[in-house]
Amino acid sequence: MIEVKGLSHQFKIGKKGKETIIPVLEGINLKVESGKIVTVVGRSGSGKSTLLNLISGYIQPTEGEIFIDDHHVTSFNESKWADFRLHNLGFIFQSFQLIPSMTAYENVELALTLKGVHEKERKAQTEKLFKKVRLEKFMDHYPSELSGGQQQRVSIARALILNPPIILADEPTGSLDSDTEDELLDFIKQLNHEMGITFLIITHDEKVAKIGDRIIEIIDGALVEEEDAS
Amino acid sequence: MRFKDQFKFVRQNMKKNKTRIFMTVLATAMGCAFLIVLASVGFGLQKSIVEEITQDRLMTEIQVHGKENEENAGITMDDITYFEGLGHVKAVTRRQMVDQQGEFRVGEFRAEGNAVVVDFPSETKAGFELSEGRLPEADNEVVIGHDFAESLAKWNGKETAPLNEDGTVKEEFKYKGELIGETLNLGVKQYEGEEEKSKSFDVKIVGIGKKPTKDWEWDPNIYISEKVLSDIEAFTGTPNGTVPPPNLPAEERELMEQRKDRFYSQVSIYADDIENVKTISETIKDKKYFAYSVVDEMEQINTVFLIVKSGLIFIGTIAIIIASIGIYNTMTMAVTERAPDIGIMKAIGANPSTIKRIFLIESSYIGLLGAIFGTMVAYLITFGVNWLLPIILSNAFGEPIPGDFKFSHIPLSLPLICIGICLVVTILSGLRPARRATKVDVLKAMRREV
Repeated sequence: MIEVKGLSHQFKIGKKGKETIIPVLEGINLKVESGKIVTVVGRSGSGKSTLLNLISGYIQPTEGEIFIDDHHVTSFNESKWADFRLHNLGFIFQSFQLIPSMTAYENVELALTLKGVHEKERKAQTEKLFKKVRLEKFMDHYPSELSGGQQQRVSIARALILNPPIILADEPTGSLDSDTEDELLDFIKQLNHEMGITFLIITHDEKVAKIGDRIIEIIDGALVEEEDAS
Repeated sequence: MRFKDQFKFVRQNMKKNKTRIFMTVLATAMGCAFLIVLASVGFGLQKSIVEEITQDRLMTEIQVHGKENEENAGITMDDITYFEGLGHVKAVTRRQMVDQQGEFRVGEFRAEGNAVVVDFPSETKAGFELSEGRLPEADNEVVIGHDFAESLAKWNGKETAPLNEDGTVKEEFKYKGELIGETLNLGVKQYEGEEEKSKSFDVKIVGIGKKPTKDWEWDPNIYISEKVLSDIEAFTGTPNGTVPPPNLPAEERELMEQRKDRFYSQVSIYADDIENVKTISETIKDKKYFAYSVVDEMEQINTVFLIVKSGLIFIGTIAIIIASIGIYNTMTMAVTERAPDIGIMKAIGANPSTIKRIFLIESSYIGLLGAIFGTMVAYLITFGVNWLLPIILSNAFGEPIPGDFKFSHIPLSLPLICIGICLVVTILSGLRPARRATKVDVLKAMRREV
């Protein structure tokens, strides 16, 4: 479960001493129940990606607290955050964020390598997951040799490889065509249904938003609406 | 992340920029080779000089050259007794020259040389060796030096000079027979007023000394016992058989004749073990004796060479530090180029310490490769220098260089020191880029803004 309490965030821009403070999020309170798909919608610049980055620990909030599965993550230092991310969170990014010099296989295997899993076990788990995302023939391809949909599936495989209870997705279909988008959304629903993975998805796409058990809207940094999709 | 995987990761990254890595390793290798070759000259010279000093010399020997005493600076029998009483002393040898040029005759052959008085029992304990025959048992028995026979020349009573220009005996005048068992006639002289008187003592040759260890050494002496010296002294009336000049004032002559103490010119103490040389040497030095041992000399030489080698290693280290600038540059470039990848790794959960370690392994690996290649090159250069330089020098100066003389020597410790220095320097130079890698901002890196 993800719980956000009184979360605020401001960006400082400009030269030191002459900074301009731009508030992005204001007093956000949010609960994401385990095993649910929650989509966050909002216009560009509304602060939805900032919310995800705060929950991911990529940036520290100006104010407020975040709890993930009862862990007070806002008190974590960088090292503890890294370990927590590796073991508890999976990430899907709009631009896939695959390492271009590594093959699809190596990109997916990377999380297992970082965790210190033995090579033999890594191989078995990675190959199994490639079959699941139906990319077993493309394991030795580099990201540049794959289509957008294939790259996103590799990215999902990487997010799933350590069986995280929560997956955070930032515009996961943003770079995909309509057919591939449908295919990906079905896959997300299947993962949620079969494995009980919690999804927090940031999107501005109405079709993506509709797969959520709950849809949250952020307008100008404030959570102004929360609707139950069911 | 396991070390094996980190290393694999490093190797994969290094393969992406082979040329840059090659040039950096090359610069490090050159620095290391420079350090090793430079220091190897110090090691080589030290080895050669030490070997030259210690070659065939007893490391347990302490030579005593007198004592700090204005009235009586020579070593007497009392001093010898004191030395023999010290702990860990195996033997105390004492030698003295008969204080006049002796004339030695064997049949019709004769030679001029020195008669050296030795104490045969202590010489035997100290390891005096013969090439032939035995040590004297009776008072009138003597041992001759290894080259004594070479100095004997046939004297036919004519003016024909039996010697070559270089002092060696002409072939036709050389002594060809066996000397052991022969009677040697030892002639000494003295003055009675203006008149020269001579007397000869017959002694029997029973042994021939061992060949001196150094090629240039020449031993034409004869070794006599103290009893023979006493007979000579009885004839000359002076200690050590000294011949006072005929015009010496009567008081001085009297003074010389009254001197009863016998002084030993070459006194050596032999320790039972090399470990005890320093203690014995220090004990007798405390008693104001002038003592010298190879160990003392070795200590001084080693101290000098330690300073020289340290200086050379320091200069060589500067070369490695210069090479490390290349490593710093390479690692900084690597961090900049790989920032997006670092960002992705951090985003999915790579620990900053893992990222730092990966970059440190990379810089150390470059340093290690450089050190290994540098060591190999240094060994080749050393081999070349030791082979070529003696040829060049002997051709240029016409002086032959001893075959075993080493200009450059690389002991195992030197590459190890070099690898150690190289690793420290390269780790230090990789530290800042590695820290920078851990500070890469995830969001900026993923947006390719770094």
